[in-house]
Amino acid sequence: MFASKRLAKELQKLHDKLPPGITLVKADDLQEWIMDIRVVDNNPIYVGEVYRLKFTFSQSYPIEAPEVVFVRDETHPIPWHPHIYSNGIICLDLLDRQGWSPVHNVESVCVSLQSMLTSNTKKERPEGDDNFVRNNRLRPRDINFIFHDNQV
Amino acid sequence: MATPAPIEVPPPNDRRGSRASQTSVHTQDEISPVGGPPTSPSPLQIRASRESSRKQSATKQPPDLSLLQYVSKPDSNLMCLICHCPFSDPLQLECEHIFCGDCLHTWEAQQAQQAQQRNRELADRKCPTCRTKYTGTRAVPKIIASMLDELVVNCPHTRAGCKWVDQRSNVKDHVMLYCEYTPVACSSFDCRHHIAQKDYHKGCLHYTVSCEQCHTSMMKKDLEVCVTDHQRTACAGRSTNCPHCSCELLRLDLKAHIKDVCGKVVVPCQGAIVGCAFSAERAEVVTHEKGCPMATMAPHFRDQQARIERNEARLEPLSRKVGILEDGLSNITNMLYPANANDSSYPVTNPLDPNTSEPFPPASLVPTPDFRLPPASFPPVPPNDTSQTPFQNPSQPPFDSQVHHLLTLHDSLREEVSRIANALTECEGRTNMMVINESQRVKDEMLHTNAAINGMRMQLHWLMSATLHQRTSSSASSSTGRAAASTSASGSGSAPTQGASRSGTGGTYHAPLRRLSDSTRQDTKL
Ligand SMILES: [Zn+2]
Ligand SMILES: [Zn+2]
Ligand SMILES: [Zn+2]
Ligand SMILES: [Zn+2]
Ligand SMILES: [Zn+2]
Ligand SMILES: [Zn+2]
Ligand SMILES: [Zn+2]
Repeated sequence: MFASKRLAKELQKLHDKLPPGITLVKADDLQEWIMDIRVVDNNPIYVGEVYRLKFTFSQSYPIEAPEVVFVRDETHPIPWHPHIYSNGIICLDLLDRQGWSPVHNVESVCVSLQSMLTSNTKKERPEGDDNFVRNNRLRPRDINFIFHDNQV
Repeated sequence: MATPAPIEVPPPNDRRGSRASQTSVHTQDEISPVGGPPTSPSPLQIRASRESSRKQSATKQPPDLSLLQYVSKPDSNLMCLICHCPFSDPLQLECEHIFCGDCLHTWEAQQAQQAQQRNRELADRKCPTCRTKYTGTRAVPKIIASMLDELVVNCPHTRAGCKWVDQRSNVKDHVMLYCEYTPVACSSFDCRHHIAQKDYHKGCLHYTVSCEQCHTSMMKKDLEVCVTDHQRTACAGRSTNCPHCSCELLRLDLKAHIKDVCGKVVVPCQGAIVGCAFSAERAEVVTHEKGCPMATMAPHFRDQQARIERNEARLEPLSRKVGILEDGLSNITNMLYPANANDSSYPVTNPLDPNTSEPFPPASLVPTPDFRLPPASFPPVPPNDTSQTPFQNPSQPPFDSQVHHLLTLHDSLREEVSRIANALTECEGRTNMMVINESQRVKDEMLHTNAAINGMRMQLHWLMSATLHQRTSSSASSSTGRAAASTSASGSGSAPTQGASRSGTGGTYHAPLRRLSDSTRQDTKL
């Protein structure tokens, strides 16, 4: 109930106006939304590419963080980033249980991810990406990331 | 059920007071659930419990402030960042960030639960916005509370049909007490549905009926509201074919189509009312009417017809009124000239009735004089029918009217007389007063004159006695004079009036004379 009310409000606002580089692709229900983001400036790592994000909301959103992952398909790759695994899982404190705050919302999460990409200069995957991608069966919210650096 | 009696309404400031106390003390806020039902039961509750103890669920849901529709977009500073709604029952943290009480408590509970899962004490509560630690919450500044109270909202049951729009602080009272669209439990014993308060008295409307076209079953309540909607959009049997032109259309519109639109229905020419006998399918008739003179005239005739009908309708009550007035008039006439009614020789019983004029010889072609309303002073009537009836002669004004005239004269004379009598009485009174006043004045004057005369007499006496005294003293001896003086003194003491006329010595004269004069003055005054 709480979640649906809040999401309805957010959706209404997203239909009204969105920051540049962010588009709402699909929000048919109040459980799973698809957003597209692209990097607005000319960062050579990401130029010309559009990335697809999948938001999954729990019943207690926004008290609980949404689950946010990049999804891959023919036109939407997973962006290169030292905190983004090649299966799309994002290691960002904002999306972690500890770092989440209910004042965040879909738009602010997209904007944060956008700026995380914009400021990145290394075209690489996190340490142990292969291993993690092969073995991880946990849902992103249940993974205990250790945040190496806070400059992301 | 009628609108709840207004006596049950708590005064608005009372409500505000309770609201303020709810928000001001944190602990109290935790005890009483935010946005919970008011402590006093609604009139509906009371009545329901009185009417039947078996039906106890006639309670209303208090409005959820977070679902309210705001008339204008509220200021973004009044928005809770957690629920994205204007604050309800807001609390302020030490960092001055504000959240709804509910939102903050939910967040705190979740944080505590998480800490428990990790077997850690929840070290600090942190502001969701700025992550500053806080130890307690307090009420928001009054200006924010009143700004929130003054937000204008629609009734939460607007979609059900309520038109109420007012400040948010009143919405709970409206929903709980006044709104006719607040859902309440159905009045029927075994029905679990809800019904708008205004339909409560209609009994249970929650039985199914089926649409006669498609046999879809619907709630009676829904059918009543949406029957047109269903037949326009959802009903499987909603479309049909016109029996005349076989075009497809909604069953709902069929009647209107046949009456006004369908090109294949046989209709008469519009000029039918004027006499055109043409009648064919509508399409043909339309072309015919272009050339038919009667069809062009028809609208005017229709107008005229309508006007005539209107006038006739208006005429009907008017003629009734005239009848009533005539009756009243003849009643009055009979009352004014009761003699006529009994006097068979004089046909005034019903002057309008031509039969009553039969006593007059029909030979006379002269119109019967109208005696119905003879004037008080009647004009001379031309003596044209003198020759006919001698006793009716002098065909002068009817004698009853003469009597009437005399009576009037008599009356007016009596009035005149009484007026004169009044004037006379008045005049008499006035004269009497005048006479009394005048005589009084005269009397006064006479008394004055008397007094003056008395004074003069005294002086005269004094002068005379003085002269006499001089004469005696000069002629008689001194011893005799002394004796005479003592005698006169004693005599004057006992009888002053007599003493005044006597002669005596100058020394002893003064006092008695004065006393006399004094007594005379007093008399005058009295
Ligand atoms: Zn809130
Ligand atoms: Zn704060
Ligand atoms: Zn209402
Ligand atoms: Zn019912
Ligand atoms: Zn139907
Ligand atoms: Zn037709
Ligand atoms: Zn015609």
